[in-house]
Amino acid sequence: MSTDLIPLSEEEAAVSGRQKAARYLVNHPHLVLIGVLVLLIILTGLIEPNYLSINGLRNSALFAVPIGILAAGQTILMLTGGIDLSAAMIATGAAYIAANQSPQGAVIAILGGLLVGFLAGAANGIGVGIFQVNPLIMTLAMSGILLGLFTSWAQTIFSGSTRMGDFIRTLGGGSFFGRAIPWAVVVWAVLSVFVVYMLRRSGFGRNLYALGDNPAVARLSGTRAWQVLIIVYTMAGVFAAIAGLLLGGRVGAVDLQLAGVFLLPSVAAAVIGGTSIFGGIGTYTGTILGALILGVLQSLLTFLGAGQAVQQMLYGSIVIGLSWLYTRISAAQ
Amino acid sequence: MTSTSPDALVAGTQAPWRRWLRRHGWTLGVWLLLFLLIAYYATLIPRFGAFQVASIVNNATPLVFLAVAQAVIVIAGGIDLGVGGMLVLSSVTAARLMEGQPFGVTIVLAVLILLAAAVINSGVGWIITRSNVPDIVITLGSLYVFQGLALAVLPNPGGGTSEGFRWLFTGSDTGIGTNPWPAAVMMTVAVAAVAWWMGKTRSGLSLYAAGSDRTAAFLSGINADRVKIMAYAVGGAFAALAGLANTAIAGRGNATTVGGNLTLNSVAAIVLGGVALTGGIGSAIAVVPAGIILFFLNPILTAMGVDPSSAQVIQGVLIVFVMAATGIIEWRRRRQA
Repeated sequence: MSTDLIPLSEEEAAVSGRQKAARYLVNHPHLVLIGVLVLLIILTGLIEPNYLSINGLRNSALFAVPIGILAAGQTILMLTGGIDLSAAMIATGAAYIAANQSPQGAVIAILGGLLVGFLAGAANGIGVGIFQVNPLIMTLAMSGILLGLFTSWAQTIFSGSTRMGDFIRTLGGGSFFGRAIPWAVVVWAVLSVFVVYMLRRSGFGRNLYALGDNPAVARLSGTRAWQVLIIVYTMAGVFAAIAGLLLGGRVGAVDLQLAGVFLLPSVAAAVIGGTSIFGGIGTYTGTILGALILGVLQSLLTFLGAGQAVQQMLYGSIVIGLSWLYTRISAAQ
Repeated sequence: MTSTSPDALVAGTQAPWRRWLRRHGWTLGVWLLLFLLIAYYATLIPRFGAFQVASIVNNATPLVFLAVAQAVIVIAGGIDLGVGGMLVLSSVTAARLMEGQPFGVTIVLAVLILLAAAVINSGVGWIITRSNVPDIVITLGSLYVFQGLALAVLPNPGGGTSEGFRWLFTGSDTGIGTNPWPAAVMMTVAVAAVAWWMGKTRSGLSLYAAGSDRTAAFLSGINADRVKIMAYAVGGAFAALAGLANTAIAGRGNATTVGGNLTLNSVAAIVLGGVALTGGIGSAIAVVPAGIILFFLNPILTAMGVDPSSAQVIQGVLIVFVMAATGIIEWRRRRQA
């Protein structure tokens, strides 16, 4: 009663305002990511004023696309408690096949690339879902298997063109509306709508969360884990293939080191976006923000003229820092 | 729970050797597999002698040490993706500082590098326990940081070390020779020490306790956070030892070595060595033959006339096959119980 009557001093009002803001942030953790993203964009703009233009932002977006699409696969797998360490190699393989089949026309090239993702992903799913191989080991071994296969195929049955066809090059690196919007971003946007809808609204999406949250309970509630796992690993494989096609299209020529550097960033994007590596927690919206942050960060580091050494150190520190921050925020919830 | 299950009764009356076999079956199996592979290799190539043995033992040393590093951390309930980065960082630091130095100085530097690695990696462990972020995420970050630091220390491949230091890990001043003993002794001493620590001492056993059940370990008075930091410190030192071996073998450092791939090899090695990725199960002694086998598959397959890229395929298929087989065995055992 008495507390109601005493007017708040300015200082107290400020404190309660700050607390309210803090609570709001805790309930909307994505706002923190958006804040970091905006801050990074402004910071980059301060260092290089030209960055705040369509051209500059487009470069960041183009860098974020392969990370974001690969991270879509990582996100849906992490929700089930899995991970895909073969994603980068699948992407590379898909791009390699697409480049190789480019003389046969764009349709065959793209289908060939997607087939690589489908087969490798399905094999991962069978290993993890049916034979209970640890996802880390299964996908790691798959990565080695694919590297071996493609290294020998590159000299035998798939020797020949390593140049992407024009259609895929446009898709990966071209833009429309006066070079404002890259086609690759459109592909990513369509895929994002699909993934977000699947996770939020579909029964399959709920199965993923259930399986990651508590496999035993999910099984008792009628989820057939092995079927869900085969489908989700196959899906992740196809996503990786799409990322590979776009990346190959942007670079133009394909070699077997094409996507390797994107593997750990794809995991980092999902983690920064708040997806738990133990399963059951996470959203693709968060992952998208994570991928965008990494894309802007790449531009920032390039403008700073930072060498490879500084780039990697900063990159690592930011992965640690952001995941720590995010965990603190979600722990307060 | 007053009635005793027939299974437990059988286990109680089992002959001691059968119980020993059940407990150490995996370790024994991996060692047997290694010797079978060596015997097979000896029949494959025209001359199998001291040179081949020395080459296998020497070149497998970095992977074995790295696998032991990973094993210590995984048994304590963590996983360290940064060990490969630590190997590269320690290797290039050694190559940069040791170039042109006499033997005594290189030994002092080696000890300092090991200590620094232990301190740095215990910092990684501290961050993990303080932040509650999963190990795999923080160590993904530390992998990048180490790799970046390595590039800063030695931008271009180069550096060097003393002849005595090379002898210590390779049995020859030039890194190529027929003497496998120094490397074998190094491996035996280091692994025996860590196996004794983990199997016989209070602090070592607490790794298993914390790794298998954090809550139970906490309730029995174990400071699980401190145990994890300790495991990361020891793991960091072993990863650095692997880096020193690498420098001694190559005679120089190379910061563009991809640490991530080395980490992945270390994970494959501990899994083949019977360490459970969920923590609390496994031994350093079984990891040694597993690491040697993983390295050894390449020369065997080459001797069989398989080209290196197909060898990589076969290696991957074998790892999956072993894992799937153990998964099925586990599943059947649980069904019977």
